[in-house]
Amino acid sequence: MKKRLTVLATAMAVVTALTACGGSQPAATTAAPAETTAAAATEAPATTEAPAAETAAAAEESSEGKVFNIYAWNEEFKGFFEKYYTVPEGVTVNWIITPSDNGAYQQKLDEALLNQANAADDEKVDMFLAEADYILKYAGSDATQDVTALGVNDFSNTYKYTVQAASDNNGVVKGVSFQCCPSALIYRRSIAQDVLGVSEPDEVQAKLDSWDKFNAVAKDAKDKGYYMTASFAETYRVFSNNCTMPWVDADNNLQFDPQIEAWIAQTEDFINNDYTLTAGVWDDEKNKQMFADGKTMCFFGPAWYFNFCMGNAQDPEKGCSGDWAICEGPAAHFWGGTWLMAPAGTDNPTMLADIMNTFINDEEVCSALVANEAQFSNNQKVNAKFAEDESYGNEFLGGQNDVAVFSEMTDNIVWENHTIYDQLLNEGLQNQLQEYFKGSVDKDTALKNFYNYINETYPAINTP
Amino acid sequence: MSKPKKEIKGGNVSSGKWGYLFILPFFIAYTFCTLIPQLMTFYNSLFMNYRDGLTQVGPKFVGLQNYITLFTPDNSGSIGILKYFGNTIVLWLMGAVPQIVIAMLLAVFFTSYRLNIKGQQFFKTVIYMPNLIMASAFSMLFFTLFSPVGPVNQVLLASGWADKAIDFLNIKVSVRLLISLMNFLMWFGNTTILLMAGIQGIDQSLFEAAQIDGANSWQIFFKVTMPLLSPILVYTVITAMIGGLQMFDVPQILTNGRGMPNRSSMTMVMYLNNYLTTSKNYGMAGAVSVVLFIISAVLSLVVYSSLSKQYKEPKRHRKY
Repeated sequence: MKKRLTVLATAMAVVTALTACGGSQPAATTAAPAETTAAAATEAPATTEAPAAETAAAAEESSEGKVFNIYAWNEEFKGFFEKYYTVPEGVTVNWIITPSDNGAYQQKLDEALLNQANAADDEKVDMFLAEADYILKYAGSDATQDVTALGVNDFSNTYKYTVQAASDNNGVVKGVSFQCCPSALIYRRSIAQDVLGVSEPDEVQAKLDSWDKFNAVAKDAKDKGYYMTASFAETYRVFSNNCTMPWVDADNNLQFDPQIEAWIAQTEDFINNDYTLTAGVWDDEKNKQMFADGKTMCFFGPAWYFNFCMGNAQDPEKGCSGDWAICEGPAAHFWGGTWLMAPAGTDNPTMLADIMNTFINDEEVCSALVANEAQFSNNQKVNAKFAEDESYGNEFLGGQNDVAVFSEMTDNIVWENHTIYDQLLNEGLQNQLQEYFKGSVDKDTALKNFYNYINETYPAINTP
Repeated sequence: MSKPKKEIKGGNVSSGKWGYLFILPFFIAYTFCTLIPQLMTFYNSLFMNYRDGLTQVGPKFVGLQNYITLFTPDNSGSIGILKYFGNTIVLWLMGAVPQIVIAMLLAVFFTSYRLNIKGQQFFKTVIYMPNLIMASAFSMLFFTLFSPVGPVNQVLLASGWADKAIDFLNIKVSVRLLISLMNFLMWFGNTTILLMAGIQGIDQSLFEAAQIDGANSWQIFFKVTMPLLSPILVYTVITAMIGGLQMFDVPQILTNGRGMPNRSSMTMVMYLNNYLTTSKNYGMAGAVSVVLFIISAVLSLVVYSSLSKQYKEPKRHRKY
């Protein structure tokens, strides 16, 4: 009898072990509270995924949460945050970083936001970052909250479009941007000298201030052995940002703006004539062109592009720092930008508001962003100070005052014709058409694949 | 075996009961982790159920509408799911045929007492090694190797074999070859070890007897090894096939989920994944899963019955 019981018990143990899927593991989560709270004060530990360690030991006076979770898609803001923001004592900052490729960041964030009400306080999203391409999805939803109610009221110095972008249909502001992102034509001075005979921004701008001139110069560049751009999609944002209608109409039918058509036509011409490469905007093949031995004259991007994404150009050995300059180029546009969004249900509203105020209204911090990080801040007063400062110059751009250039360009930025679908439609169109430009499919097939992609990604959109 | 045991215990309990108890965990795990999810998948496939931004649409019962959508030709007349099924089969065959042939060859070599290869342990470890690498790391490696600025192109350019970088990842044949090569490299070691175990399970005296009767190596292989190995071979082929139909990680990472060029390396599961990532479209994804399940079941039956035929036939002869 005893034996039988033992066998039965063993069998039951095996059964429960095998079927207890989905249960939590209480032993594992409470493991490491001591060290994290100690290290928490100033320098946030570089955790990407690890859920907040229980900081029960440090639970003191403040009624707000002890763990501050920030969702982001890269390390850019994390660097500034750790440098310029003093985290209140006893609070641990967790960074949950997911790359934005193929919408992975949005997926991760959506799950967290939809689960916000049920999540434990220390697991709640306390702040998340969003980009221009999908900010509407969050700003327009109940997943975010009014920042003015939290104490972020002063928008007198921020650029108007950054506030519009983070507002819902009723004008309720749900977040702030710590940068303003007018996008410029970034060119190689030495190549411009060779192709255009001039290299100073004003003179170059005069020769490239319309698409007709730009396209004509592309031929001259080719004749001298250069590429005009290094990616088939390099000029995409310049066109798409000037669209006169959104990607979908009121009935959710997909529509192609004439600007998108114009981009396709230009790219066909550039590819056929070898004015550009078939690489994507983020491909190694394109980035290689930023080295000193690169043959490409023009890149397009805002401040974050040349200080965060042009590492090759800044490479001390193979790069060519100082051989660059910026001007407005053929059309005014902006690209990207990182907004700090206020999720509903955060348990750290005071700290959240404090972070937002720091990065838009603290002149010291905003000045440091410009002076040390080559950012174009979202504080007009600070930017004006640098724009007028004769002694300020960006070394990478050969001493040019980039803040002055960007300041002028901000007047031309408009926030309109955006949809919640923008990121993956822009990305998807480029990906599918890349195959056409590379010659592996014809244009109709590429567009058909784009429609299939949309049907899978956004069932709500009606495609032709 | 069971009778003496009974006597020792002296009880009146049939020990067959314990057998059921011991296989119970599997059936419970199967019910909860496979059967119920499978039924739920079918149930879900009958609903319109997806997410638009942060808004949930449905679930709304639509009957077989998802299946109809799946098999409706697009405006150029092609049916997506059939194309992706074709891709999957082609990619699987390109990897699995060499995989089984080479694995069989190696297994025969390693187990042959006439060849008596030294250092077997070493070779077994080496051929199994690629299987230990994560598929995603492996395809990332290939992605880097064969990118337009990768080392392969640098070698080709430097040696003058190509005057322009070859875009391997945008040519149908090369993408498919790379995927099959990776799957082959990852799985042939595993198959070799399975087949070796199978061959070692065959009575050595049969080989010796055949040899004494004057059979040559080919004859021994086809008349002795193959027929006796067929249960293991059927198992290997069916598991390889199910694995092949579920092919996902290698092509997904290599093509960044795009299945380029022209979706010619998009497999069934990649297609399924497209419905699940952004739109969380459980209805359509469920329908694709059910179709995939039916295909797997039918193909497994076909393979099973065709390959195990030779194995069964001798028995029949004896009967009549």
